[in-house]
Amino acid sequence: MKFSSIKTMPKNVIRDTMKSIERNNLMSIASVLSVIAALIILGIFLILTINVQEVTKDVESKLELKIFLQENFTDTQKETIQQALEKSDLIENVTFESSAEALDNFKSSLEDYAPLLNGYNSENNPMPASFIVRVTDPKDMEDVQTLAMSFKDQGVEYVRYGQEYVEALVSFNKFTNTLSIVVLAVLSMISIFIIYNTIKLTVFARRREIGIMKYVGATNAYIRAPFILEGTLLGLIGAIVAFLIIRITYYYILGLVGGNLFLPVDASLASPNAVMGQLIFFFLIYGGFIGAIGSVFAIRKFLDV
Amino acid sequence: MIEFKNVTKGYEKNKSEALKNVSLFIDKGEFVFLVGRSGAGKSTFIKLLLREIEATEGSVFINNFNVSKLSKKEIPFLRRKMGIVFQDFRLLENKSVYENVAYAMEIIGKSEKQIRKRVPLALDMVGLSHRMNHYPHELSGGEQQRVVIARAIINNPSILICDEPTGNLDPETSYEIISILEEINRRGTTIVVVTHDREIVDTMKKRVLTLEDGVLKVDDATGRYGYEV
Repeated sequence: MKFSSIKTMPKNVIRDTMKSIERNNLMSIASVLSVIAALIILGIFLILTINVQEVTKDVESKLELKIFLQENFTDTQKETIQQALEKSDLIENVTFESSAEALDNFKSSLEDYAPLLNGYNSENNPMPASFIVRVTDPKDMEDVQTLAMSFKDQGVEYVRYGQEYVEALVSFNKFTNTLSIVVLAVLSMISIFIIYNTIKLTVFARRREIGIMKYVGATNAYIRAPFILEGTLLGLIGAIVAFLIIRITYYYILGLVGGNLFLPVDASLASPNAVMGQLIFFFLIYGGFIGAIGSVFAIRKFLDV
Repeated sequence: MIEFKNVTKGYEKNKSEALKNVSLFIDKGEFVFLVGRSGAGKSTFIKLLLREIEATEGSVFINNFNVSKLSKKEIPFLRRKMGIVFQDFRLLENKSVYENVAYAMEIIGKSEKQIRKRVPLALDMVGLSHRMNHYPHELSGGEQQRVVIARAIINNPSILICDEPTGNLDPETSYEIISILEEINRRGTTIVVVTHDREIVDTMKKRVLTLEDGVLKVDDATGRYGYEV
C-alpha cells in the first residue's frame, strides 16, 4: 500500500466501520455480549491464577531449610560448611543459629509457656546448632539438601524442610495454570466463532460493495481494514465492559471478606490494584485479538475476486 | 495496449475451452467492439483482462506487462490502469452520484482536495453535473450508466472496458452513451466495448472482433457485425 492511501484511509475506514456496526446493531450487541460472558469467566480464572501464584510465591519465600549440626561439631567444620553454603548460587542467605540461640528462640516462641523450659540451661541444652538457609528458588530445595548432606560426616547431622508442603503448592499452582489455559482455549474458540459470524453478516451485507472495490483496484488490505476494525472494536468493547463488571464485583467481594481470607497458611493475596492492572491489560489485548482473528476468517472467502 | 498471445482458457477438464488459441493486438488509443453470441467467450475475455481468472495457456499483456505473471498483490494495481463499465451499473445505492464517483478515488487513496477537484470534472464530462447530489434510484438507466462511466474514468485509466454498456438501455440512450465513450476515446483512452448491439456496431464503423465458440473468427478493421443472427 502506498503512503498516500494510508493517509486518507483512517477517515473512510472509521466512517464505514461505524455505519456497519450501526446497521448490524443486534448482531453486534450479541457478539459484544458473548465476548463479555467469555471474558468474565476467563477473568475469574485469571484472578484465581494470579492469586494462587501470589500465595505460592509468598509461602515459598517464607520457606527455609534447616541444616542441623552434630552435637560435637568443630569450628573448622562449621567454617567449611558455611563457606560452601555461601558460595552456592542456589542460596540467598545463610544464618547460623547456635544451640544457645536456638533455646532462646524456642523459649520466646512459647511465650507464656516459656517457664516449661526452665530446667534447661547451657549445660544440658537439648537444642542442636543449625544453619537456617533461604534458597533463591524454592524449586532448588532438594539440590540444597543434597549439597548440605554431602557434609554428612563433616559436622552435618540432618536437613529438614517442608518438602511435601512445597510440592503440594507447586502442583496446585500447576493445576490452576493448566485449568486457566484450557478455559482460555475453549472460550477463545467460542468468542472467535461468534465474532466470525457477526462479521460474516457484515461482509455479506456489503459483498456488492466489496466486488466494486475489487474492480476499482482497492487492495485487499484496504478492503479488509474496516471489517477487522469492526471486529476488533467489538472485542475491545466487550473487554472493557467485562473488566468493569469484574472490577466492581471483585472489590465488593474483597470488602465483604475484609482481611479474612480463610487461608490455612500465613500468606496474603495479590494486591487488588495489581490484579486489576494485569486483568485490563490482558483483556484489551485478548479482546482486540479475538475480534481481529474472527474478522480475518470471516472476510477471507469474499476477497477472492 | 492489450495483447493476447495464443490464449486458451478451459474451465474444467474434458469440457471444450471457453477461449481457443486466441491471439490479438489492440493498440493504445483504439476503439474496438468485441461481439459474439452468448457463450462465445466474451466474459472470459474480460475476466482474463481483469485477472479475475488466469489463462490455461498463452499470455495476456496489458501495457507491456504480462498479466499472467502478476502476483496477487499486484492485481489491484493492474485494475487501477483500467476502468470498467458494467451492464448492471453496480452503483452503491446508499451513496449519492458524487459519492459513488468519489469512492473510486478514495479507495486508491487520493486526497480530499484532489477528489473535490476531479469528481465535478468527470461528472461534467458525462453531462451529469446537475444530478451530483441525487441517489442512483432517482436516476434513469442512461443516467446511471453515465455515473458508472464517470466512476470508471475518474482515475485516468489507460484502458476502458465496457461490458454490454447499452444492454439495459433504449436505442436513443445507447447512442448517447456510445458518444460519451467516443469522446473519452478521443482523449487517448483505449476502449473495448463488448456488445450484442448490432446497430451500434454497424453505424460506428470501428474495428470489430468477433468471437465464435471461443475462436477469434473475424477481425474487421472497418466495422461490420461479424456474424449473422
